[in-house]
Amino acid sequence: MNGTETLKATGNAGSTENPVFSVRNLWKVFGPKADRIPGGEHAALPPAELREATGCTAAVRDVSFDVRKGEVFVVMGLSGSGKSTLVRCLTRLIEPTSGTLAIDGEDVLAMDRSRLRELRRHRAAMVFQHFGLLPHRTVLDNVAYGLEIQGLSRAERRAKAAELVTKVGLAGLEDRRPSQLSGGQQQRVGLARALAVDPSVLLFDEPFSALDPLIRREMQDEVVRLHREEGRTMVFITHDLSEALRLGTRIALMRDGGIVQLGTPEEIVGSPADDYVREFVRDVPREQVLTVATAMRPALAGESERGPAVRPDATVSEAIEAVSRSGDPAARVMDGGRLVGVVDHACLLDVVAGTTGPGHATASATGAQDAPAAPDAPDGSREVTL
Amino acid sequence: MATAQATPARPVRAGARRGPLAALRDRPAAAKLLLLALVAAVVVPVVHGRWGGGIWPDALTADLSAPLGDVTDWIVSNRDSHPLFLYFFGHISNAVVLSVRGVYLVLLALGWAGVTVFAAAVAWRVAGIRLALTAAASFLVCGLLGMWVPTMQTLALMVVAVLASVVLGLLLGLAAGLSDRVFRLLRPVLDTMQVLPAFAYLLPVVLVFGIGVPGAVLATVVYAAPPMARLTALGLRGADAGVMEAVASLGATGRQRLLSARLPLARKELLLGLNQTIMMALSMAVIASVIGAGGLGDRVYQALSSVDVGAALAAGIPIVLLAVVLDRTTEAAGRRIGAEPTGPALLRGWRGWSLAAAVTAAVAVAGRATDGRVWPEDVTVAIAGPVNTAKDWMVDHLYTGVPVVGGTADLASHFTSGVLNPLRSGLTGLPWWSVLLIVAALAWTIGTWRTAATAVLAMAAIGVLGVWEPSMDTLSQVLAAVAVTLVIGFGVAVGAARSERLERLLRPVLDVFQTMPQFVYLIPVVALFGVGRAPAAAAAVIYALPAVIRITTQGLRGVDPAAMECARSLGATPGQQLRQVQIPLARPALLLAVNQAVVLVLAVVIIGGLVGSGALGYEVVLGLAQGDLATGLVAGAAIVCLGLMLDRVTQPTTRRQRQES
Repeated sequence: MNGTETLKATGNAGSTENPVFSVRNLWKVFGPKADRIPGGEHAALPPAELREATGCTAAVRDVSFDVRKGEVFVVMGLSGSGKSTLVRCLTRLIEPTSGTLAIDGEDVLAMDRSRLRELRRHRAAMVFQHFGLLPHRTVLDNVAYGLEIQGLSRAERRAKAAELVTKVGLAGLEDRRPSQLSGGQQQRVGLARALAVDPSVLLFDEPFSALDPLIRREMQDEVVRLHREEGRTMVFITHDLSEALRLGTRIALMRDGGIVQLGTPEEIVGSPADDYVREFVRDVPREQVLTVATAMRPALAGESERGPAVRPDATVSEAIEAVSRSGDPAARVMDGGRLVGVVDHACLLDVVAGTTGPGHATASATGAQDAPAAPDAPDGSREVTL
Repeated sequence: MATAQATPARPVRAGARRGPLAALRDRPAAAKLLLLALVAAVVVPVVHGRWGGGIWPDALTADLSAPLGDVTDWIVSNRDSHPLFLYFFGHISNAVVLSVRGVYLVLLALGWAGVTVFAAAVAWRVAGIRLALTAAASFLVCGLLGMWVPTMQTLALMVVAVLASVVLGLLLGLAAGLSDRVFRLLRPVLDTMQVLPAFAYLLPVVLVFGIGVPGAVLATVVYAAPPMARLTALGLRGADAGVMEAVASLGATGRQRLLSARLPLARKELLLGLNQTIMMALSMAVIASVIGAGGLGDRVYQALSSVDVGAALAAGIPIVLLAVVLDRTTEAAGRRIGAEPTGPALLRGWRGWSLAAAVTAAVAVAGRATDGRVWPEDVTVAIAGPVNTAKDWMVDHLYTGVPVVGGTADLASHFTSGVLNPLRSGLTGLPWWSVLLIVAALAWTIGTWRTAATAVLAMAAIGVLGVWEPSMDTLSQVLAAVAVTLVIGFGVAVGAARSERLERLLRPVLDVFQTMPQFVYLIPVVALFGVGRAPAAAAAVIYALPAVIRITTQGLRGVDPAAMECARSLGATPGQQLRQVQIPLARPALLLAVNQAVVLVLAVVIIGGLVGSGALGYEVVLGLAQGDLATGLVAGAAIVCLGLMLDRVTQPTTRRQRQES
């Protein structure tokens, strides 16, 4: 995974800036004498054996990653994989056992109480799976709650809150109580409450898991829209693979407290790091995630003239559609008027059938870096196709 | 974290062959009993040989009357001189007297019209127009019955006692809600205080403050504060963890978390605590007439001691009305929480309240102008006379010789001679050590060794105090009344659980019965059965029945519908459903009903000392009446021990489960 990390770090334009969150060797161990586990003799044991030997559970084990400015960093894993603990460690809602953690270069673990409060008030706001709304307050007062805690005057915070209520599409419901809203509406309130404090990073803890599939879809669109409009950095926890692929600029896949693989959706699907990840992404419609940049081969002589043109960041399924509509044997992959390769029937079928080997896909992924990064575009295109 | 670790399921062993030890391990109750039998086999012959059987041996009693007498003498002689009294209890006492007096004067200044309108206005604001009318009508009835002044006296005492209870309860509850250590320390104390009969609180208070209003108010506070503290603590601890986390994630300070989230989230529990505190305060304020509280309770007390049922009823009705109005109003306030405000926008929030205040002020001023401060004496209805005539008619026609059913007095004497007497002689005839053994066995099988130890020690303490015989007398009344309560209660509950219509019919009746103070129940039973042990037992049964019926019905109805559906789909008859599904699944509720029955019955059986049930209750009354506090204190301590023992013996593991949840 470190390989992937450095690989992407060199390829992404955002990497030159300081990361929003910088996490190194973070541990969170629950249980007696938890602080002895990281770096100790038991550190490498599998969860069951660790519990047997020490009575401790390592919810987060030796995790390192950076969250870059403006990206949607998705942490994905099954329940019990430690993802929710990890996101709580970021603002020390759960105190990490060991490791280092910095926000905008400032050491979070060294913060005193007031500094930490400052961090929670202004820099990182969180959206929760079960909303965490105050049942005795109206929608407007719930949204204004974070501002109230900061000590803003009633008029100021209400004006700001009203603006956000409209922004998340709840205009007209300001005076309702949370119990009178549907689940999706309640989560919009939660989202508005987090946005109201204008944080530099938004943390989502499985925000849509408790919602119906259709509403979930709608809320995901909402997040995509917000991200596109504001470009706010987001850390998004989910157990839903399609949600992760839909929203994530990069995805960290967690298992038993550790990160198994970290990469773009395309890398996770196209070149799984191990059997666990491969099993995980097996049912993903690959043609909807992988881009033609991954699937293409160099153009042979004479192929530069014929066939429909597609962009390198178009998905394979879009290419399939283009090829089958045009009737040509292959599509040209054009990057700003320059031919970078072609995708023919064989290339496209390989992707759909999943017969592209990992080696092949990695090579293609390396090639894909030549394409100029357009952070928002992949999200936009996936929104249509997935 | 500890709560998350569920007890590991006992592994089911497939092997058919198991040693007797393994069999015992699977049946902990049998193992405990076996162990107890072994211990008994060794200890009992020794104990029996040394001290003999029968009632508690004199050799093992400690005569406390002399030292207690010394203490009371010392207190009485130093009450006006010792610094402890001058500078501590004296100030408390003065403050209580002053505030009760102050509230009483305010109530008088408002005048009857002012008080009535004020009550109606408050009820209107919190509970709506219907309750406002009920409140107004109730206060008018109090006046019509000629009970305006005693009602105001009781109300003044109540206001002070409730305010003090709420403040004390809130403080204790806050401490216990925010600190685990305080919670662990306070919880068993509060739980135990809730099961003790009200009478047990009177004597220590009298010892320090003497007979009078301060003692009455303080006894009421001690009795009424625990539910507030308990529910505050539970409410604060029960705050939704997700909401609290969200609040913390926004960077709230500890103070902000408490004020803007934790306390508002606990509003339901806080209001429930207020409701319970008010109801218990009313109950105690009436009972405290025995130690000089005055007011309505005193009227009932005086009337009952001369068996003047009419006068007792005239004072009893206002008590019931007060109880109903107070209960419904606070309950409605709890129910309204979180609901949308209703009514015209003009009357919402502070506008409605200021309108209510303005109307009250206007009426009070108008009342003063027309000199209507005290209820006009010529506008009263004297019900005592007619009621007593009716009662005399009952004495003549219903007491004996009613065909088929027999008379009420006949019933009472049959109950006394056929149930209470044999039970009492049986209990006193049992060797004292066997009573301890039975208590141990009962408490240990359904609880832990701790509960068993507490129960046995409490029982032994009764013996040591030298009140074994009266305690056995009280115990016999309790057992008889509990048996009757459970038979009737379970019967009605099974019916109510099955018939929607019966439950609908019962609900308002139970509501009213559950709100009435214990004391009031003595009035009708004295009218029906005269005085003695049987009427006390009857009052206890009536008092405990509503709770038993309600808990059992809810338990039976709360059975998992899927399980019931499954039983029906397999073709179970209603009887089979009841026996094989409902009763086993509702077992926790049934056990809770038994526990409640025992606790409630004991409370009233003790108060029955006022209507000639004798035993421990009578000794308390006697001690108070004759100024012989030593006797009263010993009896009071025995009541505490008896209450503790009965609670522990009937307390299944539910308490532990509640703690974990």
